[in-house]
Amino acid sequence: MTLPPGAPASRAHPFTPLVLTLAVAVAVVSAPGPAAAAVLYGATILGVLAAGAGRAALRALVPLAPLWLFLFLLHGVLGEGDRIVMAGVSLSRDGLALAATQACRLGAIATASLALYAAFSPARFVDAVAARGWPFALSYLVVATLLALPRFRARAAAILEAQRSRGLRLQGNPFRRARALAPVTFPLLLGALAEVDERGFALETRCASGVTRRTPLDPPRDSVTDRAVRWLAGLAAAAMVCWRVLT
Amino acid sequence: MSALQLEGVGFTYPGAPAPALRRCSLRADGGAVTWLMGALGAGTSTALLVAAGLAPRHTGGERTGTVLTLGLDPATPSSATALGGRVALVLPSPATQLSGIAETVAQEVAFAPANLGWPRGRIHEGVAGALAALDIAHLAHRDPGTLSGGEMQRIVIAAMLVLQPELWLLDEPTSALDAAGRAILHRLMRSEAARGAAVVIASEDADGLAGVADRLVVFEEGRPVLDRRPDVLLRGGEVWAAGAGSTTIAELSRATGEAEPRPLTVEEGVARWTR
Repeated sequence: MTLPPGAPASRAHPFTPLVLTLAVAVAVVSAPGPAAAAVLYGATILGVLAAGAGRAALRALVPLAPLWLFLFLLHGVLGEGDRIVMAGVSLSRDGLALAATQACRLGAIATASLALYAAFSPARFVDAVAARGWPFALSYLVVATLLALPRFRARAAAILEAQRSRGLRLQGNPFRRARALAPVTFPLLLGALAEVDERGFALETRCASGVTRRTPLDPPRDSVTDRAVRWLAGLAAAAMVCWRVLT
Repeated sequence: MSALQLEGVGFTYPGAPAPALRRCSLRADGGAVTWLMGALGAGTSTALLVAAGLAPRHTGGERTGTVLTLGLDPATPSSATALGGRVALVLPSPATQLSGIAETVAQEVAFAPANLGWPRGRIHEGVAGALAALDIAHLAHRDPGTLSGGEMQRIVIAAMLVLQPELWLLDEPTSALDAAGRAILHRLMRSEAARGAAVVIASEDADGLAGVADRLVVFEEGRPVLDRRPDVLLRGGEVWAAGAGSTTIAELSRATGEAEPRPLTVEEGVARWTR
């Protein structure tokens, strides 16, 4: 979790940001056109700002910018159908609409996901699942998936530094850079496999595969507001799906 | 009945050209510290994995012979559940033994008791005791992932201690520890044995364990070949013949060509060499 403890997203029940993110993804994918997708993207940004995770909206722009450019070139410039001229460039009208729709979908999903990631507390989530009496394996699956990327990145950085100290040169022509990938990639993958084994040993020894219901150490409060927000998000997503199916 | 009993155990890892254990027989009783030592590949770590049931259940491979851990064959899934919380396993690399979901050291140590469904009061009490025993109470609210290797190793040991296990299986547990951490672990092993637990430790730390263990079992080519009191074995030449080592002082004495029995500690060396 990278949000300050006082942020609304940090205080929320762990299921609430998760349900909101899923609802945003379902709704925005079901959005029938650029206007609806843009409204949902805007609403997602406002929601993320209100939740105290405004940085997530900004951080999402880093991977989104090249994707948006690619969509614009693919659909707007190279697309077929009626043409319009903007700033002296001939563009496809339908292609632009499709590019805008896809761009807003990607934007909403990336922003909501990064906000969820910023607000996510593994321990609170595990406690929330345990408080419901659901199996630990379920919470561990979610937590391990969300934490896999930073662990992988940290390991890659460590291996890169180790190989550099042994004389690996990463600068130079593309051929040399491609050759430098192998001494980084293979230890990374082999190390990850070995870690999976050892972590499996440790988890079993620490009774993670037990049949007993896990004790929540500090069960998070599931307020009326949390439950209402989750229900509303679910209903909104379902309504968007119905709208898409019926129109 | 012994806490751990291996009778004629063989074990071969998947795809390995040779077995890691061959007709290995070993017993470890409650109330004693049993120290396993051997050259690289002698089979001490595999013996611990087999005792914990992780080999072959997790590792794959083929096991033969009889293994009884607290009276149960640990390789069967039902026994694994029954042994949950009764057997502690500590491996050499602490970073991979953290749960990966705890945000604080206290949560990390509470991981196993919570999985066992202990009441919250008992968990908090046990966690406080385990942290104090490993002298890491001041780290209770720190993120375990940001600590040093030695601190992580203490956390891993505390996370086992909180369970008050009947059998400890420790594989090179001092690999990341500093001198203070090693001293704490050695005291802990004695106090756990005094509590009635069986402590089995695979380690090359002869300087540290010579005065701690009740028995030294030397492995060679996948089975025990020597089994006596450490202070007896380490003074002689048999441990060297088996590919294992002894204390630094005994090694120095051996290098100078002194006759057996050799001194083990600095005090014994000074007493002999200043006569």
